[in-house]
Amino acid sequence: MTHGTTSRTLSVGALARIEGEAAMHVSVRDGVVEDVALRIYEPPRFFEAFLRGRGHTEPPDITARICGICPVAYQMSACQAIEDACGVRVEGALRDLRRLLYCGEWIESHALHIYMLHAPDFLGYPSAVHMARDHRAVVERGLDIKKTGNEILTVVGGRAIHPVNVRVGGFHRAPSPAELRPLRERLLRARDAALDTVRWVASFDFPDVQGGWEMLALRHPTEYPMLEGRLVSSGGLDAPVHDFERHVVESHVRHSTALHGSLAGGAHHITGPLARYSLNFDRLPALARTAALAAGLGEVCRNPFQSIVVRAVELLVACDEALHIVETYEPPARPFVDVPARAGRGCAATEAPRGTLYHRYDLDAEGTITSAVIVPPTAQNQAAIEDDLRGFVAPRLHLDDAELTRQCEMAIRNHDPCISCATHFLDLTVERR
Amino acid sequence: MNDGVVVIGIGNPYRRDDGVALEVLRGVEALRLPGVRCLESDGESTALCDAWTGAQLAVVIDAMRSGAAAGTLHVGTMGADALAVHTPSGGSHALSLADALALGEVLERLPARLLVVGVEVGEVGDGPGLSEAVAAAVAPAVRAVREACTEVA
Repeated sequence: MTHGTTSRTLSVGALARIEGEAAMHVSVRDGVVEDVALRIYEPPRFFEAFLRGRGHTEPPDITARICGICPVAYQMSACQAIEDACGVRVEGALRDLRRLLYCGEWIESHALHIYMLHAPDFLGYPSAVHMARDHRAVVERGLDIKKTGNEILTVVGGRAIHPVNVRVGGFHRAPSPAELRPLRERLLRARDAALDTVRWVASFDFPDVQGGWEMLALRHPTEYPMLEGRLVSSGGLDAPVHDFERHVVESHVRHSTALHGSLAGGAHHITGPLARYSLNFDRLPALARTAALAAGLGEVCRNPFQSIVVRAVELLVACDEALHIVETYEPPARPFVDVPARAGRGCAATEAPRGTLYHRYDLDAEGTITSAVIVPPTAQNQAAIEDDLRGFVAPRLHLDDAELTRQCEMAIRNHDPCISCATHFLDLTVERR
Repeated sequence: MNDGVVVIGIGNPYRRDDGVALEVLRGVEALRLPGVRCLESDGESTALCDAWTGAQLAVVIDAMRSGAAAGTLHVGTMGADALAVHTPSGGSHALSLADALALGEVLERLPARLLVVGVEVGEVGDGPGLSEAVAAAVAPAVRAVREACTEVA
């Protein structure tokens, strides 16, 4: 901590419980919040450049490395964008396997965030390790749920970290029904535990905060969105994913090396659990809808602190959906469909645990990538997170630096930012003048 | 529960020297040591706990930055406190590994013995490929891991 005669700067070191590398700076002058800036050090654009000149079969493996927590999201968006460019659709059992794999990632990611990152905030612990000392059984439950997700990734994806079994057109190898069968017992247990999780997090105290941002998510005709859908928003947007770049525009901001995404009209928006839930309440499976209402959620949720409850509902969705797929699985005739290269442009958006993830590729006739665009959910959420913080800090200026910092970190964690996941530091600075 | 020996490499191959542990891991895998499981990790703490729970020996290979010359090997048994001291802000996974040790201690999920093989990194910018100094440390690191595994066997 440094003290000056006219200003005070508090450096709190690493905000460890966020995946990624970033810093946040809050400036206060004469008791008024002057500026809130989330600075991103990590240049996600590296991967877009790195992909140019690569073959059309390579993006799933390369882009999976963008994020350690959500590699499947990158693989699914990449595969479907390439397939779109080549005029191929993957359906039937292969699509079911993709959805099962994606459920595994949602289970892993949501369980990790709820239990290890977010719940300690609400229960007054500085970390999950401290929480585990007093609530060991609860933490063990969370880890067991997460492990169920790991096992899905291992069985379907080939391994729990950076799955190696995914390829454009499907999978290198499709699991047999016998290989999926052991997942059933685990998923039955995980689904019960997810239901307990909804009840547990619903009992937390939540500040009465309402986000004013627009909400953006995919919407599928029948499913809770994951692999595909139309692009919809709380402001009335309803467009095909091919129009994504017309509606979500990226711009450079001075304080960040990452691009900030916003809606074409200039509105800041969020993607992720709150948006998905609020725009797709009627697509929730009955079990999850009942649990959400019993937990006190309405059909729309704009309180970012209650994102932990929504995330728990989505955990239940993923367990329920994965169980259904495992119970009805019939292996595909072939583990993949052929995706011959052709010149063209393809795009796809899927719902990563943290929100809508868009990929677009341009291919030449040999299948070489001539350009790539990747719009991750956290880049879209950053402006809205700053908005949240601006409103959040103002009535809390009476708090000392340590407590204000802690609460700001909590407000950031509401959105589970994954700041491209290559390194893991966020420095938070509150400057009072 | 696992038993035997688990070797875990933590890193990102698209952050230059941060990928060194994965190169070391590949070298260890190629040795096909009996009773030794090799796992790649992004350093997430609960996954580390899962990976080493019940193991007789866990060898964790990671990039480190302590101020020593790039390519310097750090080999030793470390607890969470020591690790936090030895791998300050430069090591991109330091906090996760320290968290994993602390969590493992609370939940009684530590391996019987834990060896950390750290490789001092130089360049951690975007892109694949190790710097020359760090690439030269891969073979000695593989030997260090092999010796540890052989002692247990």
